[in-house]
Amino acid sequence: MTQVLPGVQQPTFPRKLALVVGIGFLLFAIFPFLAGNFQTSLMAKLLLFSALAISLDLVWGFTGILSFAQGVFFTLGGYAMAYYLKLNLSADANTYGVALPDFMVWNGLEQLPWFIAPLQYFPLAMIAMVLIPAGFAYIIGWFIFHSRVSGVYITIITLAISSALTTFFVSQQAYTGGTNGITDVAPLSLFGAEIPLIGLYWMSLVFTTAVLIGTWWLTQSNFGLILRSIKENERRIAFLGYDIASYKIFIWTLSAGIAGIAGGLFVALNQFISPVYLAVAFGTQVVIWVAIGGRGTLIGPFAAALILGQVQNYAEQVTQDWQLIIGVLLLVVVLFIPNGLMSLVPKTLNFSQGTTKTASPDSSAGYLQAQLIDWITPLQNLAKASLKILRKNRSRR
Amino acid sequence: MLNQLALTYILAQENSGFELIPLLNQLISGVGIVGILLLTALGLAITFGVMGIINLAHGEFIMLGAYTTFLMQDLFQMDLLLTIPFAFVVTAAIGGLMELTIIRRLHGRPLETLLATWGLSIVLRGVIKLIFTAQLKYVRAPSYISGSLTVLTDGAGVPTVSISYYRLLIIGIAIALLLLTAYLLYGTGLGRQMRAVTQNRDMAKCLGINTNLVDMATFAYGCGLAGIAGTVISAIKTVSPPMGQDYLVDAWMVVVTGGVDKLIGTLAGAFVIGESNAAIAFFLNDPVARVIVLTAVIIIIRYRPEGLFTVQKRG
Repeated sequence: MTQVLPGVQQPTFPRKLALVVGIGFLLFAIFPFLAGNFQTSLMAKLLLFSALAISLDLVWGFTGILSFAQGVFFTLGGYAMAYYLKLNLSADANTYGVALPDFMVWNGLEQLPWFIAPLQYFPLAMIAMVLIPAGFAYIIGWFIFHSRVSGVYITIITLAISSALTTFFVSQQAYTGGTNGITDVAPLSLFGAEIPLIGLYWMSLVFTTAVLIGTWWLTQSNFGLILRSIKENERRIAFLGYDIASYKIFIWTLSAGIAGIAGGLFVALNQFISPVYLAVAFGTQVVIWVAIGGRGTLIGPFAAALILGQVQNYAEQVTQDWQLIIGVLLLVVVLFIPNGLMSLVPKTLNFSQGTTKTASPDSSAGYLQAQLIDWITPLQNLAKASLKILRKNRSRR
Repeated sequence: MLNQLALTYILAQENSGFELIPLLNQLISGVGIVGILLLTALGLAITFGVMGIINLAHGEFIMLGAYTTFLMQDLFQMDLLLTIPFAFVVTAAIGGLMELTIIRRLHGRPLETLLATWGLSIVLRGVIKLIFTAQLKYVRAPSYISGSLTVLTDGAGVPTVSISYYRLLIIGIAIALLLLTAYLLYGTGLGRQMRAVTQNRDMAKCLGINTNLVDMATFAYGCGLAGIAGTVISAIKTVSPPMGQDYLVDAWMVVVTGGVDKLIGTLAGAFVIGESNAAIAFFLNDPVARVIVLTAVIIIIRYRPEGLFTVQKRG
């Protein structure tokens, strides 16, 4: 554990960590040369999902706010990018001329709505990609965190937000493209040059690395310490004079901004966005990555999103019932490995957890055993009781 | 004279742009929505209100009830209403087993329970899909319940305001279950034990109440109610593995709006949400109504986390 002097935490430069991250980054950077186009684009997508998982880890793993709405922020950023790319389709690629996207024409719009029009300019679209999700998150955060709404109710609110927004986006067909979302967008180009797949991959890689390093730095600082204390004992940290609401709002907004950028890059890569990513199902997907990877570890959710995505890719070629496996995995993790798969990794290899926990008994084999015995005992009792009843009936006969 | 009156009435209607009869129709058929909301939320009100468990697998228990009905009809050509006890027993048994193996171990950790039940819901969906495939199944509604009850007729005897018998049946079953649950909670020994466990678990344990058994019974009963909801819904919607998902968020909204302490809150929550949805949908449209109602519920949770219809306790 790092020495915590009164009010000051002095992190030493983590040489070992920097080395590992550097090697990892290089390996990821040369990956496209070794793999085909499909793998490259899949990997870029998974890297963005990893960044999304890390952003949820900030609010859930560190601050203790479980949110099913992370997919909402991802999608809002995605829509901002999708409008920009859709509005910048070249005239011959757009069936109905440059002025209006095809889905607006189908739904009888005559001219571009004023709130979408600014998104055709690159700088404005880029700002919107971050500011719309972050602003939305700020409003929600300001609304929720200043009240006595407790953890579970916040989660229910995020469920409602996700559900309401999905309904809204599906119903406003003329403006959002309805269920199909925004499809057939232009490829992303910078300074007049179209960015190839490998460029997008590198952009995703750099973004995800930046997010990983940035969040690591943030959570190792005093700020991170406060966040963790909010998670551990909110009331005590409030008594110490910290304004918890503003800390929560800040981290909530920040994570929404990160999710928004991930969504924007995702659209540049995948060339479409739809309300599927707004729905509760995708939001829980993100929650599952973080839960399985390990809350509050940053690297755990990162790895979980990456690995689960790759496994899913192969599993779906074999069986349709991939979701069942995920469900079982989630149950096993929640029941037996509450701190996620990261807690099984030996501590010497576990860099990012440096100051999170000193000695956690959860990772020991003995703990797992105890959990298993705990789980089996009631079942044994049930079996014994039913056997007893059976025997009684038999003797009566 | 009568003609004159009718003429002025029609003119007034045209001028105001407001039609009373269709609105009345909408509100009356909203009763059906209220019934479904009440049915789906009742089980949740038990598990959340009494046990404090965030059950995200509630929709899947509804789905299990619907599949039980389908199976009973498929195998024995059973009448829909006769399958209700079977749906109750099957889902209650599965629910009890889940409480024994999963929920019990996560006691006092609401967020973990939430995750575990979400995992459970994925597993249940997956298993049902493995057994029955993803194909849509259809359930026959009983023939004697078709048709609709006429509430108002116009001058020529043509029904203007009416409600189908099936909707009446839904609300009837919902109210009956509500009363049964109220009796169970406030009129029986088990109910007294349930309430004791809710109020002070440790003290109840000290007084010799088998809290483990009470927990299991409560959860099983809540799941059984979800199963009955599944049976009733199966006749108006197709039966498929993901069908429970449609009811999860709405059921939660009802429970949270109504307040978790009192059963009457669930009834009030279902009525407010169902009827306001119907009314707003009449003036605007369905999706917008849903968005407005959900937003309103979010605002309600913000200012009254313990629900609209509960008496505020003193700290």
